[in-house]
Amino acid sequence: MSAPTSAPALHATPAAGAVLREQVSAVGLALRVPALGALALLLLATALTLRHRLDTGEPLDFRPELTLLPGLAGLLLPLAVWKGEPRFGPAFFWTLPVERRQHALTKVFAGWLWLMAAVALFLLWMLGLTLLTGGNVLGEVTLRLVDSTRDVPGVGAVAETLRTVQWKPRPVLWLVSFTSSSALYLFGSAMALGLRHPLRWVAGFVFGFVLTITLAQLLRVNWFFDEFAPVLAPLLFGSYGLDALLSVRTESLSGEVRLPGGEVVNAWWGLPDVGDWALATLLWTGAALALLWAAASRHREQRRR
Amino acid sequence: MSRTIPEPEGGAPAVATRGLTKRYGRETALAGVDLRVPEGAVYALVGANGAGKSTTFKVLMNLERPDAGRAEVLGLDTASHGPRVRAQVGYVPEHPTPAYGWMTCGRLLRHVAAYYPAWEPAYAERLGHALGLEPHRKVSTLSKGQARRLQLVLALAHRPALLLLDEPTDGLDPVVRNRTLALLAEHLADSPTTLVVSTHHLHELESLADHVGVLSAGRLVAQLPRHELQRTVRRYRVEVPERWAAPPELQAGALRRAGTGRELQWTLVGEEHEVVARLSGTGARVREVTALGLEDAALAFLSEEVSR
Repeated sequence: MSAPTSAPALHATPAAGAVLREQVSAVGLALRVPALGALALLLLATALTLRHRLDTGEPLDFRPELTLLPGLAGLLLPLAVWKGEPRFGPAFFWTLPVERRQHALTKVFAGWLWLMAAVALFLLWMLGLTLLTGGNVLGEVTLRLVDSTRDVPGVGAVAETLRTVQWKPRPVLWLVSFTSSSALYLFGSAMALGLRHPLRWVAGFVFGFVLTITLAQLLRVNWFFDEFAPVLAPLLFGSYGLDALLSVRTESLSGEVRLPGGEVVNAWWGLPDVGDWALATLLWTGAALALLWAAASRHREQRRR
Repeated sequence: MSRTIPEPEGGAPAVATRGLTKRYGRETALAGVDLRVPEGAVYALVGANGAGKSTTFKVLMNLERPDAGRAEVLGLDTASHGPRVRAQVGYVPEHPTPAYGWMTCGRLLRHVAAYYPAWEPAYAERLGHALGLEPHRKVSTLSKGQARRLQLVLALAHRPALLLLDEPTDGLDPVVRNRTLALLAEHLADSPTTLVVSTHHLHELESLADHVGVLSAGRLVAQLPRHELQRTVRRYRVEVPERWAAPPELQAGALRRAGTGRELQWTLVGEEHEVVARLSGTGARVREVTALGLEDAALAFLSEEVSR
């Protein structure tokens, strides 16, 4: 038998907006379980904080730049966004009538929208908890700043003088949680899209790194550390390093400081710089976007050789 | 040996490939396949496992890139217009595991509907009801047969101009298989659709298929309308003289040979009167000529017992 042979009009491809709306909805559905887990953790954290407040009377200060949680969530979220979605081979996702790279990026974008919503809720939760405990919302804080240092043979650099300063975090630092989580989300998405087995790559990298460091220590290969550390340090703790992206360098600029008398106190080596943070955010996010584009391009439409 | 479909009248074929070649490492999945599926046809693509049927579908969906050759679907180059091609196609893949096991069937239908502006929710509902789908059931809990039925609804509900069904009845019990085939026939009667269906069970498509293509080890060894296939492929029971040897021109049209001694059975391609004349010319006496069913006629091209 033959079907009716009147030539059918070609069907249209879906509008980009319709695909995005559906992806936002589908990704939201996929994130329900992790969201419930996060909610349970927040409830637990609320209870613990309030208990601590009742026990000690200490308020909770609102310092969004100090928390690395949004960044961590951004890094891990792509695993949930792409869960159960084979990215390689003739998978269902690629059989849908959307340009493949564009389709992958749409899904990434949908996940990012949910991430931003989650970060906003997290900050609101922190703000609420701060207000509830009578804490300081981006108010002035008193810091001990290392004014000058000198080298002591056998000990290293010690703080010669400390001074006390009043520092008021700029409101723009509210954005740190959004930008750090975005950059790491883009990086995580690039891993998820570009690698068949991203978790194996991460585990392999960590294992290789630890093994190399351990072997270098065992074999006392000093040149390895001499060459390696100076390259790695700016990448992690430099003005535009990872720490600038994640915490406006609050992690690397503060810590324990040894005084000439041998006493160890908490102090800051410098104050966080918003300009450095902005540039670091631009650089890291740009790099993550480039990686994501390259990863998504692995899935672009199959052109003729 | 390959017999091809004549150019369809009144426009481009629904599917046309030229020299389609695909290799996976050292293995050749497709070797210069020239597929021609006329618009409105029900084209059965048969072949053993690994013959290249699924690879052909993947290339048509632009899910795989051919190493050589080109493919067109409804006049659209699959390599240049992948998304547009996929918008015209209802595809049931080889593996009966739908994506998104965490979704319910109803939610998956709504998800896919968002991608096809021509999707007909009422029709999807009717199909789902006819095939016994439970909208609230999670996809991950479906049996192989239920998953297959869900894939069929997903493929049909936007009334695509081309259906690519890769073993669509695989995993279905006989009752559901019959219901599915009836539904497919109803769909074809209602909608202007071209159907390309790969199967191991050609007898299931006895009442549907009007064109047949036979793939063997990546090569399209036959491609012709059903009536021509059944008219030209016949079994001849012949009595041959002592020490009779088949001449080369006879062997060229032979698909299968059986029997020993002086009584042989040959499955041959050609017009019956010409074949009979050729056999008689070699000294053989034709005792009986048998017309073959669709499946037997197509499978004759896959026989390994061909006289060489």
